[in-house]
Amino acid sequence: MSETLVTFAGVVAGYGGGDVLKGVDFEVRPGGVTCIVGPNGSGKSTLLKTVSGLVRPRLGEIHFKGENLVGLSPRDILKKGIVQVPQNHSLFREMTVEQNVELGAFLERDRRVVAQRLATIREMFPIVAERAHDKAGSLSGGQQRLVEFARCLMLEPELVILDEPSMGLDPKTLKVMFGTIRMMRDAGRTILLVEQNARQALKMAERGVVLENGKVRLTGSGMEVLHNPEIGALYLGGSLEEARRPRP
Amino acid sequence: MNATALLSAAKDGILTGAVYALMASGLTLIFGVMDIINLAQGTFVVLAAYLSYALQVHWHIDLFVGLLITTPAMFIIGVVIERVFIARLKGPDRTGMSILVTYAVWLLIEGTLDLVFSSNDVQLQGWYVPKSFTIGAIHFGYIYVAGFLLAALLLGALYFMLYRTRFGVSVRASLADQTSAALVGIDVKRVSTITFGLGAAVTAAGGMIYGATNAFNASSSYDLISRLLTIIVLGGMGSLGGALLAGIVMVFIGDMVGVIWSPIWSTTAYFVVLVLVLLWRPQGLFGKVQARVA
Ligand SMILES: Nc1ncnc2c1ncn2[C@@H]1O[C@H](COP(=O)(O)OP(=O)(O)OP(=O)(O)O)[C@@H](O)[C@H]1O
Ligand SMILES: [Mg+2]
Repeated sequence: MSETLVTFAGVVAGYGGGDVLKGVDFEVRPGGVTCIVGPNGSGKSTLLKTVSGLVRPRLGEIHFKGENLVGLSPRDILKKGIVQVPQNHSLFREMTVEQNVELGAFLERDRRVVAQRLATIREMFPIVAERAHDKAGSLSGGQQRLVEFARCLMLEPELVILDEPSMGLDPKTLKVMFGTIRMMRDAGRTILLVEQNARQALKMAERGVVLENGKVRLTGSGMEVLHNPEIGALYLGGSLEEARRPRP
Repeated sequence: MNATALLSAAKDGILTGAVYALMASGLTLIFGVMDIINLAQGTFVVLAAYLSYALQVHWHIDLFVGLLITTPAMFIIGVVIERVFIARLKGPDRTGMSILVTYAVWLLIEGTLDLVFSSNDVQLQGWYVPKSFTIGAIHFGYIYVAGFLLAALLLGALYFMLYRTRFGVSVRASLADQTSAALVGIDVKRVSTITFGLGAAVTAAGGMIYGATNAFNASSSYDLISRLLTIIVLGGMGSLGGALLAGIVMVFIGDMVGVIWSPIWSTTAYFVVLVLVLLWRPQGLFGKVQARVA
């Protein structure tokens, strides 16, 4: 069995003006949670978008189970079992909660399979049943996040990419959210997570990756990254380079 | 003002307005899904009318039978134009760019039509074109009634497609948010191309009715596009129901003012109503309040 699920090799990407990712190399192992942390604007979301096909790298390769994803459309990447919940809310506000969740299985043409999965999802996420016929736009931010989680599981993905899922959640919903991530992991899915809530996320994560200014500055187990003295400096606004510099 | 004039204007509004709404539905769908303002929509209508004309003159094909040829033809023309000119437009400036590009397409088509058919006015013929029947004191031209039925049928079909089919789901999702649509596996590029094709295809029926009820030449596209644009602004971008209501209102007001004062004021009156409505509802009658989140 291969030891890595996703391999980033020299990934350079941006939005037309200058590179945001400046040569990213790291590996995601199958199973478990890999958590990417880093300051705002360091390119975390951009990195996730290169996996889901929303941003096409200018250079480098991204291998998923040995196959290069670069150049594939988001649809083809989804077909390979990779699903992304983006940082911004992505429900279709004018459609109902149930319609949104069903859209998660847009690629599955067998209606019976979709109905079965929907039944399972309803049990995992009670809100999907409770608010089934309400417009998604009428839900609170936290409730929308849960529905997005529900939707992303409709294809039974192998790799789940979550971009700052905890943003704007109250402590109780936050707990539910982290519980849901653990549940996905325990069901055998691999999670690639970006979190500002670094402490909590790294505690749960098997692997931690620190991204700074478009480059990987540190990788290790979740605990190693969490207890690295340089991380504090990074989050207090300095950079790792400053932290490494000997103090006078 | 008498009741007959009012009823007659209401009849015109409903019968002819529905045909304009059909033409505008293409424009509004294309804008909704792609953020593209297709200035060439007016010239598509004229092109479709000339296609019906050519079939009639050269092969004696009846106008309604000809739709079986002109509708797929316009669909293919739309698809090709989208692939060649529109699909290349990307990024946040593409709405503005689309105005320039579709204007170029418009000039290209108009120039070609002018060369091929000359600038003399023509009108589509059929035994039913001059015929009418009367209910009370109101005259109903066959062609106007047929145009209304055709428009209602096609708008109904579009509505069914949008709300009852898998393709419709992908159109509505793309209309709401292209990124989110892509993330659930919708091929937004393909949806855009087909939508543009459908937007062009509806001009086949619209253009045939227009050509049978008006004398036209290649430059009729100017009058058409200004009507179509004002319909979608009044109705609300992206709304089929809005386009229908706005088309009816536009023709009704034009008729009423024409009867009460003078046809010279018809267009002006419509624009006054447009401005008043927009002051009250800037998003148009049926438009969504919240603009799309980028
Ligand atoms: N759609 C876009 N077009 C142009 N530039 C963009 C776009 N999205 C992001 N950027 C730029 O790319 C850089 C990295 O952005 P990115 O969203 O990847 O950062 P991030 O690490 O996810 O930050 P945050 O923690 O705030 O979510 C930023 O400088 C940003 O301005
Ligand atoms: Mg981000």
